[in-house]
Amino acid sequence: METEIVEVSGHIIDSLILAKVLDLILESGADYRMVDVEIGRANRDPSRARVEISSPDRPSLDRLLEQLQVHGANRVALRPASLEPCDQDGVLPAGFYSSTNLNTRVLTEDGWVPVENPEMDCAVVLSEHRARTVPMHRVKVGDAVVIGMEGVEVAAPSRPRGTSPFEFMASEVSSEKPKALLVAEVARRIGEARSRGGRILAVCGPAVVHTGAAPDVARLVREGWIDVLFAGNGFATHDIESNVLGTSLGVSVQQGIPTEHGHANHLRVINEVRRRGSIAAAVADGFIPAGVMYECIRRKVPFVLAGSVRDDGPLPDVITDMVEAADAMRSHLEGVSVALMLATTLHAIATGNLLPAGVETYCVDINQAVVTKLADRGSHQALGIVTDVGLFLRDLAGDLCP
Amino acid sequence: MCPPNYFGVLYEINPWMHREVTVERDAAQAEWEGLRSTLVQAGAEVEVLEPAAEVPDLVFTANAGVVNASQFVPSRFRHPERQAETALDSAWFRTRGYQVSELPEDVCQEGAGDALPFGGVLLAGYRFRSDAASHAYLSTLTGAAVRSVELVDERFYHLDLTFCPLDERRAMVAPLGWDRYGRRVVEALVPEPLVLEDEEALAFCANSVVVGQRVVMPSCPVRVGRQLEAWGFEVMVCPVSEFLKAGGGCRCLTLALDVVLAATVD
Repeated sequence: METEIVEVSGHIIDSLILAKVLDLILESGADYRMVDVEIGRANRDPSRARVEISSPDRPSLDRLLEQLQVHGANRVALRPASLEPCDQDGVLPAGFYSSTNLNTRVLTEDGWVPVENPEMDCAVVLSEHRARTVPMHRVKVGDAVVIGMEGVEVAAPSRPRGTSPFEFMASEVSSEKPKALLVAEVARRIGEARSRGGRILAVCGPAVVHTGAAPDVARLVREGWIDVLFAGNGFATHDIESNVLGTSLGVSVQQGIPTEHGHANHLRVINEVRRRGSIAAAVADGFIPAGVMYECIRRKVPFVLAGSVRDDGPLPDVITDMVEAADAMRSHLEGVSVALMLATTLHAIATGNLLPAGVETYCVDINQAVVTKLADRGSHQALGIVTDVGLFLRDLAGDLCP
Repeated sequence: MCPPNYFGVLYEINPWMHREVTVERDAAQAEWEGLRSTLVQAGAEVEVLEPAAEVPDLVFTANAGVVNASQFVPSRFRHPERQAETALDSAWFRTRGYQVSELPEDVCQEGAGDALPFGGVLLAGYRFRSDAASHAYLSTLTGAAVRSVELVDERFYHLDLTFCPLDERRAMVAPLGWDRYGRRVVEALVPEPLVLEDEEALAFCANSVVVGQRVVMPSCPVRVGRQLEAWGFEVMVCPVSEFLKAGGGCRCLTLALDVVLAATVD
């Protein structure tokens, strides 16, 4: 398939020039994709459209381009992206192209190269006919960094489509949606993703444990529905606490009442895990008898626990260097096609920042603001489900692990 | 207008031109004078551009450029034979205090021959003489909204052979010269068209000069005349057969100077 982009501008809507150009493309047997269109607001305002034409072979594309030129549609002369080498580790050349999380490709002297790992707010580095996003701190002296926008093409974002509750759900975040249908749809999509070989990422906040949903997550891990877990010190600690002492932040998970001196329970659990050196060691010697972390260790499901300033302990597995934590999260994203953000604001946003826009992201939170925040920070692909995470996970586990 | 002192068919750049056909110099001169006096009689004031020996088609002033109040956008001629006219046209306008705004060098546009104001927009033809790409520039320079029409019949190589605005609602139109998109554009633009039959169009009916309620035409078939009169126009026929040998009628021999393109009409 050969492709070229043409641009046509002027009063192309009212003059039917755009319609004619598109008709001519289709009549010639080629196909088109609108790259962008700016439509003049008033009668006198000009409009401008860029159209990508794809044709089965070069000669017919060239004939079509010649024909379109008569109607003012001219080939957009694309120049390869300009590159500049880094002259300092961890510092980008000024004017670097800042990436989005959308599918992106870069024009080089040898043609288009897809960016392998779309991630927002990174640089794009080219080497040996490969293009990768690289976060600022990871660039090395000599890395060829894309400069400016020229020769970079970003695909328009898309949302999951189909006749489903998601059609209206995609439009806005709302608490007023039939939850059972949504959960069934998420379950169906997870099933589909899995059958295509995609991996499922769960990002969990401590509320998952507080609401009593941790056993459902443990079940999902045990039955193979979760392939990688991101969380913080809190989630892991309370998961372990609830399985060792039966409380979450000192509150009995079974009775829902505070236990005496329970406020220190999580510290005692952290202390014991620290004594053993790692969560894996605490599972191995039987200190941790069950739970999400237990199942992750048992099933060798990788997890990243990212620390924060207010962490108690923390658990020995918690990565306290944030740059290192983000890198660890990145290293587990390959092949992820569904992300479940479960009752966590900070980890959801952190993960959202790392995910390509193509990853179906479901953000479950009782607080509508979390979903909005995620979208405001560029993760437009996130679909929000405003509900209690405990109820959501019980239904989801019920659907996936009958 | 520009007197035909040096007019002749010296080259062939449209299907009407044949070099073996001789132009009767005196007849041409007489027809031109006839047109000029008819226009004056119709109520127009005529200004004259000095003829020049090396450019026989300078007589067709409609192609000098696009006039917009005190602005003049000189043509960029397709054929090298006519390109020398531009400097003479621009000089004429410049000495009269017009602001001369130039189109980029890589597009062709042949003035009012391919750009006629109607209904608040500038209807502009393209393909044979003007490039579609020139329309966006024309719009940028003049502020006018442009409606592009593709000309598909080489006998109507300029828009002014197929379109003649009469008043705010009416125009003579010759759809024969346009592609199907162009026909739809004009259909949407002109509330009351006088649709010319093919024969009428080929008789250069659309290449007429409208001065108020008077229509100065190279010839006028009965049907067209009746309709024009029914609308309250007075038809003044002014033969220009010598100029038809070069593919130009009454309108081609004139350039309207009282044009203000409606830049702010929505």
